[in-house]
Amino acid sequence: MGPADERMELDSDEKIPLSTPPSARKSHTFDFEAVHFSPRAGPLKLWIRKQMKFRPLRSIYIVLLTAKINILLPFGPLAILLHYLTGKHGLVFFFSLLGITPLAERLGYATEQLAFYTGSTVGGLLNATFGNATEMIISIYALKNGMIRVVQQSLLGSILSNMLLVLGCAFFTGGIVHHEKVQVFSKAAALVNSGLLLMAVMGLMFPAVLHFTHTEVHFGKSELALSRFSSCIMLVAYASYIFFQLKVQPNLYGQISQEGAHEEDSEDEDAPEITQWEAIGWLAILTLWVSILSGYLVDAIQGASDSLHIPVAFISVILLPIVGNAAEHASAIMFAVKDKLDITLGVAIGSSTQISMFVIPFCVVFGWLMGQPMDLNFQLFETATLFVAVLVVAFMLQEGTSNYFKGLMLILCYLIVAASFFVHVDPSNDDD
Amino acid sequence: MDTKLQLSAVPQLEMGSHDGRPVLGHEDKSQLHGTDNMMHKSDFIHMSEGGSFPGVSCAGSVKMLSHGICRSIKIVLFSNKLNLLMPFGPLAILVHILTDNQGLVFFFSLLGIIPLAERLGYATEQLACYTGATVGGLLNATFGNATELIISIHALRVGMIRVVQQSLLGSILSNMLLVLGCAFFSGGLAFIKKEQVFNKSTAVVNSGLLLMAVMGLLFPAVLHYTHSEVHFGRSELALSRFSSCIMLIAYGAYLYYQLRTQDNQYEPLNEEVGQGSQNVDDDDEEPEITKCEAVLWLAVMTAWISFLSEYLVDAIDGASNTWKIPVAFISVILLPIVGNAAEHAGAVMFAMKDKLDISLGVAIGSSTQIAMFGIPFCVVVGWIMGRPMDLNFRLFETAVLFITVLVVAFLLQEGTSNYFKGLMLILCYLIVAASFFVHVDPTKGT
Repeated sequence: MGPADERMELDSDEKIPLSTPPSARKSHTFDFEAVHFSPRAGPLKLWIRKQMKFRPLRSIYIVLLTAKINILLPFGPLAILLHYLTGKHGLVFFFSLLGITPLAERLGYATEQLAFYTGSTVGGLLNATFGNATEMIISIYALKNGMIRVVQQSLLGSILSNMLLVLGCAFFTGGIVHHEKVQVFSKAAALVNSGLLLMAVMGLMFPAVLHFTHTEVHFGKSELALSRFSSCIMLVAYASYIFFQLKVQPNLYGQISQEGAHEEDSEDEDAPEITQWEAIGWLAILTLWVSILSGYLVDAIQGASDSLHIPVAFISVILLPIVGNAAEHASAIMFAVKDKLDITLGVAIGSSTQISMFVIPFCVVFGWLMGQPMDLNFQLFETATLFVAVLVVAFMLQEGTSNYFKGLMLILCYLIVAASFFVHVDPSNDDD
Repeated sequence: MDTKLQLSAVPQLEMGSHDGRPVLGHEDKSQLHGTDNMMHKSDFIHMSEGGSFPGVSCAGSVKMLSHGICRSIKIVLFSNKLNLLMPFGPLAILVHILTDNQGLVFFFSLLGIIPLAERLGYATEQLACYTGATVGGLLNATFGNATELIISIHALRVGMIRVVQQSLLGSILSNMLLVLGCAFFSGGLAFIKKEQVFNKSTAVVNSGLLLMAVMGLLFPAVLHYTHSEVHFGRSELALSRFSSCIMLIAYGAYLYYQLRTQDNQYEPLNEEVGQGSQNVDDDDEEPEITKCEAVLWLAVMTAWISFLSEYLVDAIDGASNTWKIPVAFISVILLPIVGNAAEHAGAVMFAMKDKLDISLGVAIGSSTQIAMFGIPFCVVVGWIMGRPMDLNFRLFETAVLFITVLVVAFLLQEGTSNYFKGLMLILCYLIVAASFFVHVDPTKGT
């Protein structure tokens, strides 16, 4: 993203060419002098080396200790301990959930920081890939274990949670804080995203309906082939969407972000807080950490379901997505309260679009490579739920305004969905 | 009922300013704040001597009391042409006792309830004159569909759960398709040269609520039919009850939100609307009967309707056998005509006066009320009574409702109307009616 104003989202107002001289950027940093400055006299070198010694510590301090959410960090190792010491899957599941939440948030932070250095294009791509890294990692683990229904349900739950819960809370809090006026957002962006979501739903519906009307050419095999083909198409669609956004968006989203961007909250985000290599390093470390914890999380699902007496569907659809979405949730609400609904919408609906058009097809292709029969047939109930939810949200968004009542309606819809999954099991427990 | 207009029409007021409706009635009788019910007083409903007299206290001399009673009866019972149908009520009871012809009993009680429903709406309006906007709105929200609710509760008591579900569904469909279609059609024909417009935002909010209600209905049905419940047959009942509570909360929030937003919108409108510039509705500002009389009539009408509904509900099965039409058709198509007759006429009349916002308020507002309040309320009442009333309206009914809501939401989002749209809605209703004419439940479970 440009050095000027933006956050990690794809809405940058100015496209900065990738080859901005690093020194220009570093001139913004307020914290420490980077080594990229033209080296001066000898005495400085000593001082610089001294700085370098502290960098890892300082880096750790910035990344790990400055966010309040990191209080939850110890739960990660605790979960692993519990896994080895006791057999209580319920606790292991719960603790790993808590442990992953701050990691997911820091992962987003590291991606942001890295995006400062790479410019808007690659930054956008980075965000598009790592934005839902946590869900992807959890899904890949579950795929490896053959828990295909868990993958499908957790991705579905992530879409639903973003569209209904995150958006609803944002609209609700924003509406209450700004209750004298009606908040507006850019209709164009919302409509494009709604259209993409509907296309994704279409991609999900056809295999499901094909399977359930027993009208496939080769029963059981055709819809897998259809799913794989549809996934490739959806990935192509998503790539063109990113391309379209990056080329066109300075005009489309630019106006709104430009006005809103020169406010208080973006000033302290002007400068990246860690260097480029540190960002990459942290990205790698956090991804590794999330992977390890996800392993324990996924292994504990079945046991947690038995000991807590709740259906696996509820765990996958409602509880798991809370983990990946906690940070987005908080930031969406914060932006709504600051009356920057476009960014909120970008976070919430953009994330849903990302998962439905990128992560789900990606998992299908990944399963294809691994030899797992992951397909787009999400079973009738889940598909119907997604279809109705997308319709409701698309309908609410088309007006371009928001108020606390709309937010409340979305939240209540989410409660109804959650309640439905609380009493839902798969008709035949075959593909777990 | 006109009363249904009160709350649903209220949100249109903010943009209805240019219509110059005396919607607020704030002009002089500000203390009455009977704002919301003013605009929809239709001509034909109050052909009475528009004699307005100030509120008479309930206490008084005996002479005054008897005078008051006579005058009250004259105003309420004899001033409306619709009340010609009133004798059919006692006639139905007579026929029930004397003969066994269930078909006739059903038909006569249908006819007998229609004027009562209309008078109930009138009494609610009158009472709202005294109680102010807020409580008036709440009154309207509750009593607006009192007839349907009363019929449903009777049917619930007897255990005819499918009848309840189908009659409420039919009421929603009839409001959304038939009433709205007739209004658009007649308005379009009356104003054939121009295109009538209405306020989009209210229509969109109501459509959103209807979609949410459909969602609440869809999940139990789909859950049941994909056989994916945890405890087959029981889970979806629990889910239905939970969803009903959520929907009631949503409806409460909707009322609160409507009343709050219109409070802010009212003051500036006052000055514009000002004095004069009002037409027919001038004589509607004043209540025609006193507060105590209004309350009394409300009670009397409710009791009467309750009484007749019992005969009506008991005669359904017999009528179905006699006339050889499915119970589904009776519940979905015929029963709602009773509760909606007055609304129907009111909506058509307002459309012809180019007051589409009020028509929309009547039709869609009533549908929203039933979907978000009437149905969940019946589930909760069934819960209390121990009846397994749930939101699983069976696949066919749920699919019909879903498609209808989509069609209507789509048609409304443009904000304009013409006779062709009205005709399309009416034809859709005919298709729906025809489907229910040949529809029975797959397994005869009531």
